[in-house]
Order: sequence, then C-alpha cells, then structure tokens
Amino acid sequence: MNMITGFIEQTQGEVIVDGVSMLKKPKKAKKEIGYMPEGVPLYTDLNVKEFVTYMAQLKQVDKKVRKEKVQKILEQTGLKDVQKKLIRNLSRGYKQRVSMAGALVGEPKILILDEPTVGLDPKQITEIRNLIKELGKTHTVILSSHILSEVSQICNKVIIINKGKIVAIDTPENLENKVSNGNSVYVTVEDPNNKVDTIKNKIKDIKKIDLVQKNEDGTKQYIIEANGDVDLRKTIFAEFAKENITIFEMKKADSSLEDAFMKLIEGGNK
Amino acid sequence: MWAVMKKEFKSYFYSPVGYVFIGLFLIMFSIFFYVDVFTYQSTNFEYIFYSGATILTFIVPILTMRTIAEERKSGTEQLLLTSPVSITQVVMGKFLAATAIVVITELCTFMYFGILSFFGTPHITTALVTLLGFLLLAISYISFGILASSITENQIIAGVITIGFFILTWFLPGFSEIFTNFSLINMFAKFPSGQIDIADTVTFITFTIACLLITIIFMQRRKSVR
Repeated sequence: MNMITGFIEQTQGEVIVDGVSMLKKPKKAKKEIGYMPEGVPLYTDLNVKEFVTYMAQLKQVDKKVRKEKVQKILEQTGLKDVQKKLIRNLSRGYKQRVSMAGALVGEPKILILDEPTVGLDPKQITEIRNLIKELGKTHTVILSSHILSEVSQICNKVIIINKGKIVAIDTPENLENKVSNGNSVYVTVEDPNNKVDTIKNKIKDIKKIDLVQKNEDGTKQYIIEANGDVDLRKTIFAEFAKENITIFEMKKADSSLEDAFMKLIEGGNK
Repeated sequence: MWAVMKKEFKSYFYSPVGYVFIGLFLIMFSIFFYVDVFTYQSTNFEYIFYSGATILTFIVPILTMRTIAEERKSGTEQLLLTSPVSITQVVMGKFLAATAIVVITELCTFMYFGILSFFGTPHITTALVTLLGFLLLAISYISFGILASSITENQIIAGVITIGFFILTWFLPGFSEIFTNFSLINMFAKFPSGQIDIADTVTFITFTIACLLITIIFMQRRKSVR
C-alpha cells in the first residue's frame, strides 16, 4: 500500500498507476492517487479549510478553480459547518472526514483508504461507510481493513494477502460460497432425555450432528449438517416436535468472510 | 514548493515559534544595542551584529528543530511524500520559510538604524553589507538545523544537535588556530567592517547547499530503506 502511494520505493517489481510508472514518473502517478493514511495524520494547527486548501495546492489544483473545488469537497464530506475550526479541536470522526477530504481533493482517479473506520463510534462508522459507498460510484476505491464485515458490506472485490502473497482475489460473495460448509443448521434445544442423537436415524438426509455448546440454562446448541443441497429446517421441526424436543432457536449457518479468510490464511500457512 | 513555503511560514505564526524567535532576538538585540550605544557612546549600527550573530546561534534551532522531525513524528510526512511534490521542493519550501522569518527579523532591526540616525550618521551601505552577511550566516545555520531535524524524530534532540554544532564551531578556534577557518561565526566577522569577502560568501553558500543536499539525500534514502 505504501508503495502504491509512492511513500516507499519498491525494491522489486513495478507499480503502475493508470499506465504511469510510479518509479519513473512519480509526480504524474501520484496525481492520480488520493491517499488517506492510517491513523489520520493531519496538520493540527491549521483549520479545516486551510488544510484542504493546502492539500489542493500540493496537488497542483489550478488556482482559478481552487476555492470552488475546496468548497465542493467540504460540502461533499459534510465539513462545511466546521471549516473554520482548528483541526486539533475536532472529534475523531471529523478528523477522519478531513483526512478523507484531503485525499479527495484534486480529483484523483484512485482513492486509497487505510483503515478508514478505526476508532469511530457506530454512528460515525455508518456515516463514513456511506460516504465511501458514494465515492465508489465515481472513483476506484482501494480500502484496507481488518473489519471483514465492513469489507463484505462495501467492497465488490476482495484481495486477501497473507505474508506478502496474494491468497485470493474474488467478490466477497464468491469467497463466502467457496468455503461454505454445505447446508448446515444451528439449533438450540431443550432436550432432557438426550434424544437428539436418535434423530439422525429418523431423517436420512442428516449427515452428522455435533454438539456446539451447552448453555447455562440447560439448553444445548447443535450443528446439523445435511447431505447435499437440502433445506433441513422443515423436517427438523417436525421430527423434534414428535420427540418432544423443544426448539428455542434455529438458524441456517451462513459462512462469513471471516470463515473464508481463516480458511485461506490457514491453507497458506501449511 | 511555494505551497509548502507558504504553509510553513503561516505555521510559524499559528504556533508561538515565530513570535518567540523574533521577540527573543529583538529583546536580546535591544540589550546589546543599549550596551554598545550607551556604554561606548558609538553610533555604529554594524557592530551590534557581532553580538547579534551570537544570539542567532542560540535561537535558530527554535526555528528549525521542528521542521522535519515533527512531520515524521505526527505522520504528516506521509501526506507530503504521497502528493505530487518532490522531496527537494519540500525541503526548499521549509528552508525558504525559515529564511523568510530571519529576513523579517532583519527588517525589524532597521528601527535601531532609525534611532541611531537621530544622533549621528550611521553608514547605510555598511549596514546593508552587514545585513547581507547576517543573512548568509543565518541561511547556513538554518540549513544545518534542517539537516539535524531530518535525522531524528525527536525535536529536542534535533535542537540540541544544532546548538551543539554551532557552539562547537564557535569555540573551536579558541583551542587551535587550525579551526579558525571552520568557524561560521568567524566568517561573518568581516562583514560589519563593510567588506564582502568572496571566500566567506562562497563558503556560506556552499555550506548551505551541502546541508540541504544531505537532507534531501537522507529523506530519499529513508524512503527506499524503510
């Protein structure tokens, strides 16, 4: 990431940004990139407008349109009301926006956001995410994050990198499906006579039943795996009722991006 | 480059640094002015700058110690290095901003010239030559200060290195004659008598360029080694 933005020089290989080599023509390549670094470093002794203007100057935005462009970006990132405030006195969420505004200025084709939602409260997180989604319509956004639910929400392509090597490139849905563990159902039941195991013989589609955990209130959670692509929930409900097992909760096991990530990383380490 | 310079210049006055530098210099300068003019009954404007040069030794680090060290510590270095400006432009911008502060300070000293011209006829050309010499001394000090700031993340260490180096070059001639030509402050000595010494002028300028170049090389190096 640092190499793409030109912060570190690459020792091997080549970074090509929109057809321009970062090593040979760094100024031209850097112009196409808006970078929001991790930990949002900002000049805290400037006010918001001054900071964005400074970034515009650094990115060589034409002097005639600079004021206009800066105002437009302040509006877009919702900073208009605080533009006269010192950055030092802003909350973390606002600082994040200022950093984002700094990245946006100069109309780069590519936006690189490093952990954009770290340290924010839930409301701010949704705000920033919406902003990113909005930006995604007009820019190429490269987002690095360790919050995978966020990734599967916002991104339409995921690259998982383990120890410097690319492990997977795909859409989040495909990655999730790739590792999905068949057709499984989680059930939480009250089963005083331990009859759950006998169910396996009654429904022939069940491959296996595993105890996941015993809850404090005496209920037990099982995972029931099906043979092939069958939805078991209906039959389970019917059979459990016959055996006098009370179902407290039943849900289909969705594999998440987290599972995909774990599997891919573990596979890579072996 | 101008963008960096403008922002750095503004920053000097957003933080107390700029005021402290100019204020401290003028207070000290006034004291020396008082001592020189009233004790020795002279209306010589230039000679106060001998003392002025020693003040510079102690206050230039205030100006330079934060320049690059702070950018590195707060991470704003990333913003600079990932925007389409070269390291040379960044370093030059910072250098020019600090130089501008010194120029402002020099302009302030004209009020002493004004006071003196009430009581006598101070020489305007020698005064200007002195100011030129003073500026040359200042830019070599500043460039070294920036160099010191680029090798560490800690402002204080950068400041101490800078002051240490200046004091060293100041007092070394006292230990041995050999070092006379290495002392920046000694090189300044001829200017107040009204002569522009080519050798000294060239030395000041080469020293400045050398320090700035080393700074640029350091920053470039760090970029590829990190």
